Amino acid sequence: MNPEWNRRHFLYRSLVGAGGLALMDFLNTDLMAASTSPLAPKPPHHPARAKSCIFLTMLGGVAQMDTFDPKPALEKFDNTVLDWSNEKRTDQPDLYAKPRLILKSPWKFSKYGKSGMDVSELFPHLATCVDDMTFVKTITGENGNHPAATFLMNTGLVLPGRPSVGAWVGYGLGTENQNLPGFVVLPDYRALPFSGSQQWGAGFLPASYQGTMMQWKGDPINDLRPAGQLSPKDMQDQMALLREYNHAYLDGNFTNPDLQGRIDSYELAFRMQAEVPGVLNLAKENEATRKMYGLDSDTTRSFGTRCLMARQLVEKGTRFVQLYTPSQSWDSHTDIVKGHAKNAQEVDLPIAGLIQDLKQRNLLDSTLIVWMGEFGRTPDHPADLRDKAGRDHNTKAMTMFFAGGGSKPGVTVGATDELGWRAVDKVYRMRDVHATILHLMGLNDMRLMHYHAGRNMRLTDTGGVVIREAVA
Amino acid sequence: MRPIILVPVIVALGVASAAPEDPAFRDKIQPILQNNCAGCHSGPKAQAGLSVTNLAELLKGGKRGPAISPGQAGRSLIMQFVRGEKNPRMPIGGKALPESLIAELEAAIDSMKAVGETTVAGKDHASWVFSPPVAPKVPALRGASSIANPIDAFVLSKLEQQGFAPAPPASRRVLLRRVYFDLIGLPPTEAEARAFLEDPAANAYEKLVDRLLADHRYGERWARHWLDLVRFAESDGFAIDGERPTAWRYRDYVIRAFNNDKPYDVFVQEQLAGDEMQRKPAVRGGQIENEGILALGFLRMGPWERDANFDAQLRLDWLNEMTGTTTQAFLGLTVGCARCHDHKYDPIPQKDFYRMQAFFASTRIDERPMPFLESEGRLEMRQQVRRLEDELEVAQEQVKSVERQLQAKLKEGNSLQKALADKDSPLLTVGDRKRHKDATEQVQRLTLDLARYQPIAYSVNEVAPPAVMDIEPTFVLAGGERSAKGASVEPGFLERIVGKSEAAKIGYAGRYRSGRRQALAEWIASPANPLTARVMVNRIWQHHFGEGLVRTPSDFGMNGDRPSHPELLDWLATQFVEKKWSVKAMHRLMLTSNTYRQSTRHPEAKQIAESDPENRLLSRMNWIRVESEVLRDSILAISGGLNRQAGGPGMFFRVKDEVAQGFQMFKWYPSDEKAQLRRSIYAFQRRSLPMPLMEVFDAANMSESCSRRSVTTVAPQALTLLNGELTAVEAQRFAARVIELAGADPVQQINKAFALALLRPPTGAELERARTLYEGRRPEEALARLGTVLFNLNEFVYLE
Repeated sequence: MNPEWNRRHFLYRSLVGAGGLALMDFLNTDLMAASTSPLAPKPPHHPARAKSCIFLTMLGGVAQMDTFDPKPALEKFDNTVLDWSNEKRTDQPDLYAKPRLILKSPWKFSKYGKSGMDVSELFPHLATCVDDMTFVKTITGENGNHPAATFLMNTGLVLPGRPSVGAWVGYGLGTENQNLPGFVVLPDYRALPFSGSQQWGAGFLPASYQGTMMQWKGDPINDLRPAGQLSPKDMQDQMALLREYNHAYLDGNFTNPDLQGRIDSYELAFRMQAEVPGVLNLAKENEATRKMYGLDSDTTRSFGTRCLMARQLVEKGTRFVQLYTPSQSWDSHTDIVKGHAKNAQEVDLPIAGLIQDLKQRNLLDSTLIVWMGEFGRTPDHPADLRDKAGRDHNTKAMTMFFAGGGSKPGVTVGATDELGWRAVDKVYRMRDVHATILHLMGLNDMRLMHYHAGRNMRLTDTGGVVIREAVA
Repeated sequence: MRPIILVPVIVALGVASAAPEDPAFRDKIQPILQNNCAGCHSGPKAQAGLSVTNLAELLKGGKRGPAISPGQAGRSLIMQFVRGEKNPRMPIGGKALPESLIAELEAAIDSMKAVGETTVAGKDHASWVFSPPVAPKVPALRGASSIANPIDAFVLSKLEQQGFAPAPPASRRVLLRRVYFDLIGLPPTEAEARAFLEDPAANAYEKLVDRLLADHRYGERWARHWLDLVRFAESDGFAIDGERPTAWRYRDYVIRAFNNDKPYDVFVQEQLAGDEMQRKPAVRGGQIENEGILALGFLRMGPWERDANFDAQLRLDWLNEMTGTTTQAFLGLTVGCARCHDHKYDPIPQKDFYRMQAFFASTRIDERPMPFLESEGRLEMRQQVRRLEDELEVAQEQVKSVERQLQAKLKEGNSLQKALADKDSPLLTVGDRKRHKDATEQVQRLTLDLARYQPIAYSVNEVAPPAVMDIEPTFVLAGGERSAKGASVEPGFLERIVGKSEAAKIGYAGRYRSGRRQALAEWIASPANPLTARVMVNRIWQHHFGEGLVRTPSDFGMNGDRPSHPELLDWLATQFVEKKWSVKAMHRLMLTSNTYRQSTRHPEAKQIAESDPENRLLSRMNWIRVESEVLRDSILAISGGLNRQAGGPGMFFRVKDEVAQGFQMFKWYPSDEKAQLRRSIYAFQRRSLPMPLMEVFDAANMSESCSRRSVTTVAPQALTLLNGELTAVEAQRFAARVIELAGADPVQQINKAFALALLRPPTGAELERARTLYEGRRPEEALARLGTVLFNLNEFVYLE
């Protein structure tokens, strides 16, 4: 426990211990909150544009040239050879050792909105929201393997063990609603992300900042209800007795400030038992809203339900919500026509619903939506797979988008080469996305740090570059 | 937004003699300088002779004089330059620092404590850390305080200087609970408690300590501390997170090492060079078994990307990880920081990282055949294998038989495999599919299990003979990039310690062996090494007292904490060597000190806390929250559910179906109910699937070396401990046990429940309140509720 907390705890307890209950009234609530919870809201480094963030994770990697980054040249060069022999940094030498052919996009593009944004047929619903979205077409990665790239996207490093973006944001800002977790993860149970909870872990930060995985069937939080057959009276009696015994034990033991902190954590848990089921109550949403998120269709229900949960959480003050598609779902090495169509159908309507719903509730300005995968995909594929062609991993370019939360609506940042292979203009790295998220949430990525293993650690390590063109 | 009222407290901190390096500098100032100034003001060509890499350098200053005057921003040269009050304005040639940053810098310098302490501490620290410990004189005390051994003299002399008295001794009951949890991680049984509490001998406590040190559960408890440090896991991590079926043998090796009191120098050497050691390990009181091959598992414990695309990068990552963890675990230095550049704070040039790494250049991963040792239960292992092989054969027959039956059901020409693969095929019923699935899963389960009983060591080896002479050269890599090769280096020890940067002398280590790791191991496990003994005694101290004498146990460097009692640490380190690196001797020394036996309460606690809020002077015992493993094991012990089976392959706990199904790369088959009740150290350590209770209660994360667990208090812990399955099941078991032991009388039952859980009778008020639980409940229900409350009490999870 860091000394700062110890001192605060100590002060808090010594005031109470000195019989100074009246004195406590003079203290500001900030001190009180700070003495009890590491998740209490903390002031940002600079005024925040976004209060919350919803991170929509497209696991497997989306093909930019089939979704938001049209490349007419692919038509022209379709079925011709793309030469990799000059590539010094190939991510998967085995893959590129074989002859490869360029593949034109199976989908047509059109221009949408006042901003005239390009969107393919894969996203008919998102196409109606483009004036609220900001596309960055030039995100580059470091490693073309799923887990390493996913770690990079989540923690800024290709290796496991570091705190994730959501944990860093909680560390920097705390969270608004003390009755709910500050960082919620909503994975798809059909296939959990590689490395499981390490992807949303707190790393070297205190465990309080780790993501809490919520389920969308049954109870949303583990152990929210007793595992045994307990009546409400049983629970109340237990709680009352525990409270009494614990309070009696405080006497004379003020040298341990955590005793009080632990009593408080039980009170919070007790409140959560009451509050969480009410907050995450999809039944109370009206029919129109449910439809907006696609809860009425088997295809969209999983992602849609979680988008709706994300909105409910953000509404109640949760700081960071991260959604995942099933592990490797977008990973269309073969038969991209089928694979990408299926994945797009599952998320297109729910995400459009989320953007529109946040907007109509005046929450879009204060909620940053981030949409991205761990890398982009190649313009070509191995020649021997022509009849069931797909696209391979590509760390040289990926398209992502922001919406709301102080991002600049209706703009496109950066450009890729004529094949959509490499980012060429205004090239950004994963850590720049992190810096931008932090910036919009009121945090300076250089100042958000934690001392660990001999030095000050940061999400962006030696610093990222805020994608200014994407910031309103 | 620090509340104003806190300022006096912080300033008062400066009075404490063991001031750590100024936090204001480390957290606020240093990062600003690092980002804006270090480009020119660092390294051998630092402009104007000023280096901004650490406080000592800034206080020393460059050719214009000291750059910072702590507590006085106005007088600090650095402020005058960044403000442009002095020419040239800094950063030179660039934009001025933003006003907000200047203000921050100013405030931070103002908040630093006055000169004196930190300057001296900074300079002294390096010379202390990098010189071997010399036994200091045990201080003479002015007062009449009682001392049990020299530890007390060192602690009391510091307290005397401040005018403080130590806390009174803890009660026997408190001490009993403390030492049981500390040494074996479990509460005493009633009989064990009575044996101590009613022992009239003057040395009852010393006898107890000896008894516990001889108990095999001691190893199960203390091995966990070591496993945290060596990032022990039984799976690779990353995408596949593949199983390491025999990694448990390293875990058991560590348990045995603690139980047998393996000399720490041997313990270190075996883990680095168990295959090269010329010196036969001497094990006191036990048969001599060569466990070196198992011990080498240490070098394998890092994460491993099984499906990596770059073999060369994978190997480099492995070498880097190994170098970093070795130096952190054994030397308490963050040498890993020097992978990309010279260490920013410690005198460790980048070259040193690669010279250290070169000791591993001849090492390759290897699953080595290694027969089971007697101490591993050689016979039992063989029986298990035979049993599993038999069962597997039966299971395989069963699959064939099911398939034959199903095939018979299908009409001619229909492929069974196709019908099974197609979920919608009408040819098979739900029942058919289930039968087939059950049969094949049984085969899978047994195959997995069988692999865990193979006589294989998860280990390393030298590059294949006779290629030893072709060891790949090691290069300094600019920025740590594989492609950016600089000068090639030979294996060599840290320059700051040995005083010169030259190749290490590598002795003969046997045929086909490079001897490199042996050379490294001998250098580390040597009394002449300034860090090894200090770092280990500090770790032992940390686990007994809740905090180390150095509170950054894996960072003794400039950025680490300053020791609160440097003389005591040095005295302990020299004792450690003198007592032949016996860890148990260190336990005995620390546990029998009066310092350890103090109460957590102190009559003057409030006054003392004003100048020593973190109890660095040890005027009382620290409170310790039991770790996640101890918490779970204790609940099981108290309820009577604990399965004491020691050693062998780990147990697989139950996970929720939806979670288990979400993992596609591996199958997770829970062990049988009884096996699931084994101690937590025997829980299978899968990196992507930690036990939920461990995860929520701050267990080590298995990916990086963890020298000090955080202690957080969050609501999900309360939910888990109140509502979770462990509590639900064990509270009922507890209730049944209490009734069995206490009979039908509620008062007797409540007394018994308190005795089992807290080693004390309830107070009158507690008894009365507990009785209300019986209203409208059967006794077993009432006691299950009481058990749940007891498992959740502060008194239960904290050690006084």
